[in-house]
Amino acid sequence: MTDSSTIFAELRRDALAIRKMLLAMHYRAKSGHIGTGLSSIDILALLHKVWLGEDDAFLLSKGHGASALYATLHHYGRISDEEIATYYQDGTLFPAHPAPRAVPAIVAATGSLGHGLSIAAGIAYARKHVHEQTTRVAALLSDGECNEGSVWEAAAFASHHGLSNLLVVVDANGLQGFGTTREVLDMEPFADKWRAFGFATHEIDGHDFEQLHAATRELDPQRPTCIIARTRKGNGVGFMEGKLEWHYLPMTEAQYRDALRSLDGESS
Amino acid sequence: MRVQFVDAVARELSNDARSVFLTGDLGFNALEGLQNQLGPRFLNVGVAEQNMMGVAAGMALTGLRPWAYSIAPFATYRCLEQIRNDICLHQLPVRVVGNGGGYTYGIMGSTHHALEDLGALKPLPNMHLYFPCSNNHVAAAVRQMADLADPAYLRLAISGFADDRPALSEHPTTLTRRYAERPGARSRGLTIVAAGHAAQIVNRMSKPTEDAEIDIFGIARFPLDLGLDRDLRESVRATRRVLFVEEHYASGGIGESFAAAVAADVDAFSVMSAEYRKGQRYGSAAFHLNQSGLTPETVTNAARAMLG
Repeated sequence: MTDSSTIFAELRRDALAIRKMLLAMHYRAKSGHIGTGLSSIDILALLHKVWLGEDDAFLLSKGHGASALYATLHHYGRISDEEIATYYQDGTLFPAHPAPRAVPAIVAATGSLGHGLSIAAGIAYARKHVHEQTTRVAALLSDGECNEGSVWEAAAFASHHGLSNLLVVVDANGLQGFGTTREVLDMEPFADKWRAFGFATHEIDGHDFEQLHAATRELDPQRPTCIIARTRKGNGVGFMEGKLEWHYLPMTEAQYRDALRSLDGESS
Repeated sequence: MRVQFVDAVARELSNDARSVFLTGDLGFNALEGLQNQLGPRFLNVGVAEQNMMGVAAGMALTGLRPWAYSIAPFATYRCLEQIRNDICLHQLPVRVVGNGGGYTYGIMGSTHHALEDLGALKPLPNMHLYFPCSNNHVAAAVRQMADLADPAYLRLAISGFADDRPALSEHPTTLTRRYAERPGARSRGLTIVAAGHAAQIVNRMSKPTEDAEIDIFGIARFPLDLGLDRDLRESVRATRRVLFVEEHYASGGIGESFAAAVAADVDAFSVMSAEYRKGQRYGSAAFHLNQSGLTPETVTNAARAMLG
């Protein structure tokens, strides 16, 4: 118990540091896509600190969350200080959506939604059925992304081929480009859809490390696993939470200061 | 060309354990042998071309070398973004194979015609296009594609005016074929260049004039490499007149690129290509070629006009 509670305390500290890094990156760059990054940071931290082994692969299918991935990889030593400082600047390998193979941990360029799960499934199929390896693949999708038909082509494929080495996590923050997911294209009952496609499916609080850890700890031995992680867009920054505009807006100086205060308030 | 393709790719697959074959649920009476030969390295992904290209990219990221097969329009337009993002941007060795280039699937209707496939893929980074001129040209293309470290597309087709005239020569690298040569070294004449299986239309043309001096070439690869195709380049420089024939729309076609490549060397350049017609009716490949004015007779007439 002590060990796991230590891990969770570390994860909370890590996630706070990653959120601060994310805000600093966006403030410096005057860039948007803050809300989507904040909703996925707890998932990214858990996966990168606990779940992903050295030879496992991670696909950020929701490519617009790139800054959160960069900040996470930086926190865990996979992107250097010098490299992360170039985020969103001319000449960078770290634009607003992941570039092809910028660093080894970024397996594929993403940014057009509905691509990452197919690529992840291809890797998982090759590793399991051709190379006969036991390494695993995780893909992080957004709930809005699941409007794309290609997601469901890939889901059917993964299930049909028993890709038990594939973990799908959906960052279900309930907000997409121009409205709530309920308003725009309601995918509920969402977990039932993944179950119907043959996935071992868990629905959890995506900001609860204990739940994230429990759901990801052991994958189903026969089927791919899907975790619907219910999250809040903008999580951790009170005035951004659940607000559509923070899908797009950059921060003013005052907003950046408020955002940092909000994060510290939450962590105290 | 499908039979020749299956034979050729079976050889490549048996020689390279890293190769895998994906099909979008096509291949009845054609791919069964491959399926039996390859086990888990043969994969029918179902009717899901977008996923097929993404899966192929994922497989290539693990070191495999996938071939991904479907009917030409489905293998290109439906999943163009997956080919661009997942395959080309990562410079992965995925070989896309489209069966039914041009009007091959004539009576199947316009959804099954592939008249923009080369144009759609031509601008993609790292992409190589192969469009064999005839059945006995397929194996060389497959051989070359198998060795590529880059993405590639193979356009298989059946001509509406089948003619497998033997080539006088074939360049080992560019695969460009020479089908006819001007008598002697006189400069006046016409260079006829056909892209892919349009060579079969050109090869059935008649002599346009009594003293016609015509060079005929079939090209099969893009990007063009006229630096290597010395005979073709010399012909164009000598005649300064090119008639280009392709079973593809003119816009985005190979002819456009060829015209740009030889612009400084020619006084006259004419493209004969497939034509979109509003309210068009449907028939065999030959029917559609007739409607587009892509026949041995129209090529003969166009050549005669250019020889003036």
